[in-house]
Amino acid sequence: MSSLSVSNSHLTNELAVSIRGVGLTYTTSIDKKPTLKSRVKSLGRGTKQTRVVRALDDINLDVQYGHVLGVIGTNGAGKSSLMRCVAGILPPSQGRIEVYGTVSTLLALGVGFNPSMSGRDNVFLGGLAAGMSREEIDGNFDEIAEFSELGDAIDAPMRTYSSGMFARLAFSVAAVVRPDILIIDEALSTGDAKFKEKSLNRVKELRSDDRALILVSHAMQTLRETCNDVVWLHKGKLVQRGEPNAIIDAYQEFLHLGKSAVIDEDF
Amino acid sequence: MSTPLQVYEPFKAGLPKLGRYWKSLWSRRTFIKEYAKSELREQHFDSVFGQLWLVLNPLLLSGVYFILIIIIGGATDSARYAHLTASLFLFYLVANSLTGGVKSVTAGQRLILNTAFPRIMLPISAVVIAIFKFLPTLIVFVVIKAIVGSPFTIQMLWAIPVFLITIFLSLAVAITISCINVYFRDIASFLPYLTRTLLYLSPILYEASALKPSLRAIEIVNPLFPILDSWSRVVVQGEAPQLSSMLQGLGWATGIFFIGTYFFLSREREFAVRL
Repeated sequence: MSSLSVSNSHLTNELAVSIRGVGLTYTTSIDKKPTLKSRVKSLGRGTKQTRVVRALDDINLDVQYGHVLGVIGTNGAGKSSLMRCVAGILPPSQGRIEVYGTVSTLLALGVGFNPSMSGRDNVFLGGLAAGMSREEIDGNFDEIAEFSELGDAIDAPMRTYSSGMFARLAFSVAAVVRPDILIIDEALSTGDAKFKEKSLNRVKELRSDDRALILVSHAMQTLRETCNDVVWLHKGKLVQRGEPNAIIDAYQEFLHLGKSAVIDEDF
Repeated sequence: MSTPLQVYEPFKAGLPKLGRYWKSLWSRRTFIKEYAKSELREQHFDSVFGQLWLVLNPLLLSGVYFILIIIIGGATDSARYAHLTASLFLFYLVANSLTGGVKSVTAGQRLILNTAFPRIMLPISAVVIAIFKFLPTLIVFVVIKAIVGSPFTIQMLWAIPVFLITIFLSLAVAITISCINVYFRDIASFLPYLTRTLLYLSPILYEASALKPSLRAIEIVNPLFPILDSWSRVVVQGEAPQLSSMLQGLGWATGIFFIGTYFFLSREREFAVRL
């Protein structure tokens, strides 16, 4: 695993991520918490315990260095699934994904997996799990703590954090560690107005020629301002890709009318 | 240009590429160490009183069980007490691996959903934590052994292979049960009954040689039986263990390890959608 914080140099328009014919189908349990008890009780009834979810369907997408790609779509469109595939968390069921560079796998809520530990411990453990070395995290930690504006709370157990504090720490980790490809999933829409502005500015700072940014967001204005490329996913399929204003206008029209010229009966 | 390229493709049923998996796991060994350290710190085992509790807790337990032995009329000499403490402490290494391991994957939900890493790190960390909790009790046992005047011999070096087999078995059961718990979340609630049953089926409150011939089957079906028997022979009596017991223990550990790990590794890529 190459280090996350050491960026490799890339030429603008060089390919960062190539997604070819990717489909994702998985089986998941219907119960939130499947138990042996419920399984035994339903024996012989023939009730189904699992359901098959078709999350992504034949997605083709290239992301180049120097680009900021926005990903939009309604809930359940497959945005997060696609991001998890690119980050290597979920292997695709069909197709092939090539990633040229290091990906920040610290998506919006990667930090804070153990709420009884302090924010500091969680940042360390999250980083170590992502394959960073102790020294790399040490080198970035002060900046993370400062950016999150948590102050002394960084050493308090994370279960005492408010959801805003939680999101602030998560965003700080993702934004301070400088990977080649940074995926920010929904993290921009959390936190108070001040932190929102700060994180937006940070994203603008991070836009550089040798980095690729992928933003998943419902904040359309943000996407209009920061992206130079937007894709619209709907029910696991790629509907449209192109210039942000045009795609977002089409998407918003679809949201208001419930139908769209580009979405036909196939969906 | 030395850009690292990663390719993600559909996986075939079965195991991931083991060489790559091992490399990825080895590069994250600091995680296991740090995770164990923060978990112990969070449970206050880094403080004087925390350490004291680690020692007091098994001592009190062995005291309670010793009273039980006196009441039900077993032998109550000092060698018996040494046997009880030695076996009980080692038993708790395996039991703590089970109770720590069972929720290791489901509790790591946030991490699993957002980070790509070898999931097996989580149950391994649980076993490392159990080992850290075991070590202080070893010192307590040495003190007890010195007090009751049981012999220290060169044969006691056999304790090292017996201990290694125990760790191997602990890993095997932790990996297996953490994976089962993803699919059946109530396994954790059955666990106290399982460990309690194992406790009574193991030569802890009694000595292996005292087992009625009609109950010999216990020896064969309980993976812990040969290990605890060897442990008591080695550390309490200072004798060499029976080779057959050692092999039986190793056989159990290897069997459970391979089945459990195969199950875990072939399933772990879908943990993210099962949590």
